[in-house]
Amino acid sequence: MSTYTIPVGPLHVALEEPMYFRVQVEGETVVGLDITAGYVHRGMESLVMQRNIYQNITLTERLCSLCSNNHPCTYCMALEKIAGIEVPERAQYLRVIADEIKRIASNLFNAGILAHIIGFDSLFMHVMEIREIVQDTKETIYGNRMDLAVNCIGGVRYDLSDEKIKYIRKQIDRLKKPLEEIIDIYMNNKFVRARTEGVGVLPKEEAVRYGVVGPVARGSGIDYDVRVKSPYAAYDKIKVNVHVENGSDVRARAIVRLREIQEAVNIIELCLKELPDGPTCIDHLPEIPAGEAIAKSEAPRGELIYYLRTNGSDKPERLKWRVPTYMNWEALNVMMPGNKVADIPLIITSIDPCISCTER
Amino acid sequence: MDRNIQKEFEEKLIRTIGQGFSLRWETDSKGVVTGWCRLDDHSRITNVAMIVSGLGGRVITITAYKTKDVHQRDIHEIAYHFDLDGCTCTVTIEIPRNSGKVNSITPILKSADWTERELQELYGIKVVGHPNPKRLFLDETIDEGIMNKLIPLSVAMNGATSKTLWEKVFAATSKEVDTK
Repeated sequence: MSTYTIPVGPLHVALEEPMYFRVQVEGETVVGLDITAGYVHRGMESLVMQRNIYQNITLTERLCSLCSNNHPCTYCMALEKIAGIEVPERAQYLRVIADEIKRIASNLFNAGILAHIIGFDSLFMHVMEIREIVQDTKETIYGNRMDLAVNCIGGVRYDLSDEKIKYIRKQIDRLKKPLEEIIDIYMNNKFVRARTEGVGVLPKEEAVRYGVVGPVARGSGIDYDVRVKSPYAAYDKIKVNVHVENGSDVRARAIVRLREIQEAVNIIELCLKELPDGPTCIDHLPEIPAGEAIAKSEAPRGELIYYLRTNGSDKPERLKWRVPTYMNWEALNVMMPGNKVADIPLIITSIDPCISCTER
Repeated sequence: MDRNIQKEFEEKLIRTIGQGFSLRWETDSKGVVTGWCRLDDHSRITNVAMIVSGLGGRVITITAYKTKDVHQRDIHEIAYHFDLDGCTCTVTIEIPRNSGKVNSITPILKSADWTERELQELYGIKVVGHPNPKRLFLDETIDEGIMNKLIPLSVAMNGATSKTLWEKVFAATSKEVDTK
């Protein structure tokens, strides 16, 4: 059988951002893969060292759109560790609420794209319509549909009145039934199963070896979630049920993301119920001394880490962050071989890739 | 009985490299433990990688940065951030000024692959023994060690988007000259 190399990308109808894959095929079966990145590299790690500590809260929020809240939040956590700032309890709950709302919107987006790629466009439109409930909620509470701008050093920049709490509860209730319906379709519809089951398999031992994170890891049977392993914000007070699937395929990764939406709904409800009174932020503009710190969070795509070094000036000496998608790319070398050419975009989408995050 | 992975790590470290390191553990208000370790000999990083691998850990990321040594001279340091079952342990080494090289840990921990390639192209630190050392993000035409320099935006963009602007500026300048 003839062997060919086919290019996929850097611009491809099924990918939202540019990435170039050289795929080796035998007939229509994939046998090898080479990934070329760098099409949207912006040198942001260099840029953050030219700006002051406060400006970087705004800059880090613009790294990515779908997980935009996790970046400034984790960056602020690193600053707070260096300065020894204790974040008010109410602010910790408000950070969790913002994060979980973003998680729902992000995971629904990926679920929708998956449906689109397998040609189930009515499901794609239905999922995106459900996602609008979350987008509307963000717009109403935070004034924006993507970048929420809620984080500051020592707390948050928003508060929830009784009226707003009632509104979020109502919106969350509106999500529950449609969520159950779409999860049933993703799990049981025979056409969806035919395209996703046994496709793009990443065995558990390979997932461990490649150090993959987030729903990609949990879809391969790895029970790891930063919210439970290294709790931050109010996650030490709230029980998070970690959803693990053992299928290791595209279907397993999709189910993990959908189950995590349901879990996010539960977490938001719990936070609203137990939201403590008190301030939402510290009452002064803190000075950041010299030091170094690590801060981690569980973004929609998995573990996000920030490493910050300060030298007492108003600019970071070094700020490094590693986004979840960064760890998941190489695992495509395991997921792809043995699958058909038609499944390439589907397998890539199953890692929920964020290229603007990866390349910074 | 709960596993004490920090203790296991520390014991293995003493057994492997003796006294040639410093290590401290911090616990935050949520009970999350973070480790900070510094090696005297940078070549021992491969031993640390083997210990982490043996404990079932992984590389979260690796940070290279420029700092000053005791004589206030520019040097490179590399901070390896390892995950030990939820505990992040940062192991820092100093790259000797005259070598600019470090041994790759990717053959031991596959999770170091991309991040080693990235620090090589951004800081110009040679990663010796990497199984796939080609460029990750930057084009081959861009100099290595680009993070060590400040590149003005106009140079970075190669005048591509400012052409229209400069044409206007030149046009305006030549008119002024004509008038005079």
